Amino acid sequence: MSVTEQSVASEVSNRRVRVIALMMGVIGLFSLVVFAFGSVSSAHSSFLFNPVNLSESAPWHVGTLTLNSRLADVLLALVMIALAAETFIRRPARGVMWRFGGVAVLFLLALLIWAARSPGPSPVSFVNLTALLIGSSEVTMVLVFGSLSGVMCERSGVVNIAIEGQFIGGAFVGSMLASTTHNFIYAAIGGAVVGGAIGWILAFFALRYLSDQIIVGVVLVTMLGSLSSYLNLQVFTPFPQYNTGTLAPNLAIPLLSKIPVVGPVLFNQSGFFYLMLILIGVISFALFKTRYGLHVRAVGEHPRAAATVGINVVRVRYVNVVLGGAIAGVGGVAFMASQGQFQPNYTSGLGYIALAAMIFGRWRPSGAVVASVIFGLSVYLSYTLTSYQVPVSLYVLQMFPYLITIAVVAGLIGRVRAPAADGVAYHHD
Amino acid sequence: MSDLSTDPQAPASAPSAPAAPARRRWRLNSRSPIMITFYALILGLVVGALVIITTTPAVLDSWRGIFHSGTGIFRALKVTWDNVGAAYRSMFNGAVVNPANLWHSITTGQGWEATLTPLSETLTYATPLIITSLGVGIAFQTGLFNIGANGQAVLGGVTGAVVGSMVHVPMIVHLPLTLACGFAGGALAGLVPGFLKAYTGAHEVIVTIMFNYVIYAFLLFSVLSTPFQQPGQQNDISRTMDSSAQLHPLFGAASGLRVNYGIVVAALAVAFAWWFLERSSMGFDFRVTGANPAAAKASGINAKVVIILVFVISGGLSGLAGVVQVASTTHYIDGGFLIGSAGIGFTAITVALLGRNKPGGIVWASLLFAALGVGGRAMQGTTGIPLDLASVIQSAIVLFVATPVLVKEIFRLRAAPVVKLELATKGWGA
Repeated sequence: MSVTEQSVASEVSNRRVRVIALMMGVIGLFSLVVFAFGSVSSAHSSFLFNPVNLSESAPWHVGTLTLNSRLADVLLALVMIALAAETFIRRPARGVMWRFGGVAVLFLLALLIWAARSPGPSPVSFVNLTALLIGSSEVTMVLVFGSLSGVMCERSGVVNIAIEGQFIGGAFVGSMLASTTHNFIYAAIGGAVVGGAIGWILAFFALRYLSDQIIVGVVLVTMLGSLSSYLNLQVFTPFPQYNTGTLAPNLAIPLLSKIPVVGPVLFNQSGFFYLMLILIGVISFALFKTRYGLHVRAVGEHPRAAATVGINVVRVRYVNVVLGGAIAGVGGVAFMASQGQFQPNYTSGLGYIALAAMIFGRWRPSGAVVASVIFGLSVYLSYTLTSYQVPVSLYVLQMFPYLITIAVVAGLIGRVRAPAADGVAYHHD
Repeated sequence: MSDLSTDPQAPASAPSAPAAPARRRWRLNSRSPIMITFYALILGLVVGALVIITTTPAVLDSWRGIFHSGTGIFRALKVTWDNVGAAYRSMFNGAVVNPANLWHSITTGQGWEATLTPLSETLTYATPLIITSLGVGIAFQTGLFNIGANGQAVLGGVTGAVVGSMVHVPMIVHLPLTLACGFAGGALAGLVPGFLKAYTGAHEVIVTIMFNYVIYAFLLFSVLSTPFQQPGQQNDISRTMDSSAQLHPLFGAASGLRVNYGIVVAALAVAFAWWFLERSSMGFDFRVTGANPAAAKASGINAKVVIILVFVISGGLSGLAGVVQVASTTHYIDGGFLIGSAGIGFTAITVALLGRNKPGGIVWASLLFAALGVGGRAMQGTTGIPLDLASVIQSAIVLFVATPVLVKEIFRLRAAPVVKLELATKGWGA
């Protein structure tokens, strides 16, 4: 990766680094003006670390961290501006994404400090950081499933726009199975089967009939959206016992879940969360350390060359798209298991945000995870921030995750390189 | 993204070696896009029937009973036929004409309103759909996928309704102004993705989808904020447009038929799109860019300008559709405007694909999909089968139209070779 990256570092990507640096600088200045100088000099922001539901039985207690809002935000903004300036002047060949991600995290922190400042019009003048991370981890988890699905498909050269549809299908079947069997293992298997089937349909049209992958994907999303809304009225409305909205129980891991902050966030989660952690490891290993992964990446970069050395391009793509679809299907079940009752259209574009997270993560599982964490936080914040001192309409806040996605996609495409044969049909002569 | 892969006649029309007349006619039939569309329509209805069969309790029960008696299988077939037949019959009656009403009107000369209402509804629904689909089609012809048409239509509806309800001038000024503002709103919503695509390479599919959600949030914000919200209302309802900004019914309000002057706007839009694509030099640039970006660049076409203009025009047409929708039907906007299964912007994508991005084809495809939508509503009313079935059928039709080879295989129309098609999408980077 590094060799290609440096050879691509031409004038164009130099200019793009500058654009990214400018974006970072604007974010830093915005934080300075709006967040730092938007709070009174005497304002304080408090951070709590004890999860609400654990506070009684928790064997540990972390004290409250109280900061001077303006001072803390000035410091954070200055760090952001410094990072931007460093990127602008040095134009590093590597690590631009990490700097950008770092600025995004600092921005969210600055936003939180500003939102939780006291005295303010709203009584909530503290942020429970642990609760925040737990809340956003649900969105993050779904995005990770989606972006891992994207990585699987696109590394083999097929664009899976249908992730949203696989979420919907998985959530529908997952809700039905979870309500009838009360067993989330069956629900997950059902979701994987449905997601895999949708993946197979996409692969069938894209690989056998060389149809346009993006069009087939979008049509599949439309179809799944209307089919699920049809079935919702036809099945779930007359038989509400099939859609009870059971939530997956949390499984606390004995010792690890007692670690302050990290414990409840990472080790007191539903089974889907642990499954996601395992998948991240398995997929990273499989794609980059095994023979199979080498084949997949060869097929995604240069299918003709791969075919020449005897790799069955079409089969590799079928396998990956079906597996990717299954992963996204499980993601749909995970979404249902954390949000409750299935409703039509309730994934509200998360599948597309997952695709953007995959791009942000440079088509790598690890990067996709980092991006999903940032996106997950911003999606979650956009729904919860209204309870803080934020003088902005709920609906304006709700635009932000989507605007951030647009900014990321606009700022990073071209800077990051997609698999060379991504979205290009392969025809074996 | 050149020469949509959904265009099956492109490679097929090339070999024009003189063949025996009879054989040639047969080949023309089986390869003709109209026939493929017709077969795709049949397959779409079959998919819809399968969905009805597998989800209607009465039908499922009848199939469960086929082994209980010797005639069980016939009874099951009859129940299936009755249910599917009733659904599609009520769809036809609700979208085109109810034969009983027609017969009543012809014999007695009465009740023409009831007889003509289905057609009027189909035309009312088709009007904004035609305009949006033209926008999507123009983008497709240039090799760009505008999946944000719905958001652009919503923004166009909002800007149009703001001007229509809060500016008070005579109709001769007000109506054109309202329509122009709708166009401008949509164009603005198209400008951003176009600009980002041209200057950063951000893929228009993701940007426009994200923009849809931004605009939906803006819609709720606008109808809940003081100047635009209906005074005295707490709900998400906007002010009502002045009569001078409305598109009135063609046959007068007394006729009871909703078909309206929006049809004139749609006709003008079709004429404009045809002229633009087929006769204007800018339209030629657009099509060249779509067909062969390298050739376009070599001949001095500025790709960046083309991309931005395509999105402005495409978004503008969607915005115009949005304002036509408001001005001709509800005259106000609520928080659910064009969201969900009423999202004409998503139907427009399928319509444009079905109409092969040509203005004429789009008109027919819009009428067909409008009929499916309106008929779906009638079906929901009479048989209780949810309206969303129409949307399932629509997507299935498009999936088949996008894959002509599959349609030919299913109908055994000639051993169809898998032709190598020029692909429409080129991944993220390009």
